[in-house]
Amino acid sequence: MAARSTSLGFRAGLIVVSAAVALLVVVPVSRLGYVVWTESAGGLGQVWSRPGLARAVVNTVVLAAGVTVVAVPLGALAALALRRSDVPGRAWWRVAMVLPVLVPQFVLGYSWTQAYARAGFTDTVLGVPWPAVQGPWGVWAVLVVNTVPLAYVFAAVGLAVRAEPDLERAARASGATGLTALRSVTLPLLRPSIAAASVLSFVLTLESFAIPQVMGTPSGFTTVTTLIYRDLSLGSDPASFVEALALALLLVLLTIIVVIPADLVLGPRLRVSRVAVTEGAPVEQRGGRAGGWIAAALSSYLFLGVVLPVLALVAAALTPAVGVSPRPDHWTLDNFRLVLTARTFDALGRSAGLALVAATALTVLGVAVAVLERRRSGRILGTLVTLTLVLPGSTLAVALLITYGRWIGGTLTLILLAYLAKLWAFAHRPISGALDRLPLGELQSARASGAGPLTAARTVALRPLAPALLGAWLICVVTALHEVTMSSLLYGPGSDTFAVIVLNSQELGRIGPTAALSVLLTLFLVVPALPVWLLIRRLRTSTGATGPAAPRGVADVR
Amino acid sequence: MLRVMSAFRGRVARRRRALYGVVVALLLVVSGCGNGSSSAGDAITLYTCVNDETVQPVIAQFESDHPDADVKLFRAPTGDLNARIAGDQRAGGLKADVVWACDPLTMQGYVDQGLVGGWVPAGAASIPERFRTADYVGVAVLYMVAIYHDGVQPPASWSDLTEATYGPVAVPDPNVAASALGALGYFDQTSEFGLDFYRKLKDQGATQLSTPDEVVSAVAQGTSPAGVTIANSAYASKDAGSPIGIVWPEPGAVAIYGPIALAQDSADSSLAKDFISYVASEPGQQVVAKGGSYPTLSGVAGPEIPADAPIVFPDWSALAAEKDSLLGRYQQIFGG
Repeated sequence: MAARSTSLGFRAGLIVVSAAVALLVVVPVSRLGYVVWTESAGGLGQVWSRPGLARAVVNTVVLAAGVTVVAVPLGALAALALRRSDVPGRAWWRVAMVLPVLVPQFVLGYSWTQAYARAGFTDTVLGVPWPAVQGPWGVWAVLVVNTVPLAYVFAAVGLAVRAEPDLERAARASGATGLTALRSVTLPLLRPSIAAASVLSFVLTLESFAIPQVMGTPSGFTTVTTLIYRDLSLGSDPASFVEALALALLLVLLTIIVVIPADLVLGPRLRVSRVAVTEGAPVEQRGGRAGGWIAAALSSYLFLGVVLPVLALVAAALTPAVGVSPRPDHWTLDNFRLVLTARTFDALGRSAGLALVAATALTVLGVAVAVLERRRSGRILGTLVTLTLVLPGSTLAVALLITYGRWIGGTLTLILLAYLAKLWAFAHRPISGALDRLPLGELQSARASGAGPLTAARTVALRPLAPALLGAWLICVVTALHEVTMSSLLYGPGSDTFAVIVLNSQELGRIGPTAALSVLLTLFLVVPALPVWLLIRRLRTSTGATGPAAPRGVADVR
Repeated sequence: MLRVMSAFRGRVARRRRALYGVVVALLLVVSGCGNGSSSAGDAITLYTCVNDETVQPVIAQFESDHPDADVKLFRAPTGDLNARIAGDQRAGGLKADVVWACDPLTMQGYVDQGLVGGWVPAGAASIPERFRTADYVGVAVLYMVAIYHDGVQPPASWSDLTEATYGPVAVPDPNVAASALGALGYFDQTSEFGLDFYRKLKDQGATQLSTPDEVVSAVAQGTSPAGVTIANSAYASKDAGSPIGIVWPEPGAVAIYGPIALAQDSADSSLAKDFISYVASEPGQQVVAKGGSYPTLSGVAGPEIPADAPIVFPDWSALAAEKDSLLGRYQQIFGG
């Protein structure tokens, strides 16, 4: 009977989520396809034969692969390294690892060139410029630095949810070296999280725009997204507009080619089902000077990847104009005064509300897809929701505008739909990577013992998944707050978001106010992040103390 | 055991209530934000790429002159504006009553699609003929000028920029910035320059950046000794203290006008027509000038401009016709 109600619930869930996927993904993408098909008037061949397209496609794919193969292992290594208790200041490093994502993409290009390019920080202070920062290598480096935290979060969440420290202990006790235990026990368990991080990293690099545009195009490095931007800039000519949409669909196609095989073949093999019992404390690893080396490696990564670019950004916010040296006697708060208006706060409040609602809804949607895709009938859902992630913001916004603008154009609801469509995969992948303690049997026994469906889900399934849910939620909040393109294209009277203020400030031609806005936005994220971090720490301790692991601890003591 | 269970249930119920509370609060935040201002009077929608500092005071002044009127604004960079208009068209039609663009090529594209045009205000006659057509009238101008880092010998003419001392010159991308496309058009149309001008710049190592603003940043930072950019951006940066100088080079700064037009579907909206007439009128032009943009109406004093600054004008209709081939030829020089 329990099995029958589960299967009924599954079917109902499948219908609801499929409807949402149709609404947010399938219909808008199909509408784009329809526009390209009907309006290109046989000129589609012209799009494909466009000079420079082949090179842009190659650049895009190579960049995406290059970022993924470096950033994902680095992130996973960092997560593994930070399990060691001999790393000095471990709790601090765990937070520091995700700091790069707090710098909004729309100023990242500027802050890196300001830090490393000719006449930048390192040049003026040390006489060591890195001219290649404005070119493919610079684009690659910045994207890697920005992807590592994502891979780190995935791996850390995977470790928190999936690790089997008792197995590791058993391996070590049976004589395996640390490396062998890592290779034969820990890494195989981490594989789904690593696969999820790789797919997301690949897709995010395919759709990255701001960094390639600001740092790549000056040296002639083009990607599909920078071509789309050009087409839209000249897009009052319908042919350019249709060409931009065709290129966006090309990105969708690239995603399908890479992600569908990965999802269909790799996904089910990597998934396993295990009991919901959380294991004991992680294996203590110490010895040698490894902890010190790890701390040194992390600090140089953070110094070069975060501290210097952020210093450049803060300097830009505090100096009156570009090219004025950031000496203390030049410091001014004028840029902050300029942007601290009632309108900025209204917009920031609106953006924050949108980000919170979107992240919360996305976490629910992410769980739903992660659960449903584990059955054959729902397997394609996870792949489908990745397709809207790869659409550059401008074209996804156009897709939603074309599909729903007639009824809800210019409202916050349309912007919310755009966020849901764009970030669904962001919420889904980390949860999917972590979700193998799906304890169906235990859910059923909870139900059989009289727990309602919600109680059963909350007490049996939610608890072990909490780190993954929180990780997904946080990623969505930050990304939604930093989102510029879609909301600035979709807003209407009374629904202008923070992005509108940012773009407006950029158009005034001075970097100072834009830098000040990013500093404000970062503070706005960091200040509430502190209590959230404390909450996570408390949650973690309370899981350890009262969670299912406790009886085992008691048993051990006995 | 039972007591434990009921305590457990109580905790669950409390938590659930708290969760509902949070969800409701979040929904309230969003729905509360959705209530835009609504007005009993007449309302029009303006789509523009003109910056806030210029367009907001114009709207404010117009609304205070017409207390019942409500001008709803959508402002975005040209690329986003194009995308929004193209989206509107495929979702039931253009939602704007008035479009105020930043360059004539973009506006001509809207005219060619039958979205705007067919009417200009009577007052347009006082605006120089080179700044208007039968479908739209220019109400602001951008000037493409040369800038140099402090300490560098100021270039006197555009051709000076091809000298080695100024390399690598920073130039904006005509594929992205319509103002840069206007300048490209002018140089291509003028026999003493032609595309050779760009070839020579490239030979000196010229860097193509995206927007004129990025050119200002590069020259102010010292990455490039000189650059080609728009005057407003350069003066704003210089006034704030950036170490740059500005030259209106011979034979002249390239003028790119920003036209305003009536949507075809709003042909009978008197408020939309009133708004356009106001922006093109002397009081409107004064507000535009005060907001930091160069007005088109002669006799209205605008932002800084040197006495007898030479100014040149691209042939926009010729440029519209050959845009694609011109960009193709340019691409062969600057690649990408």
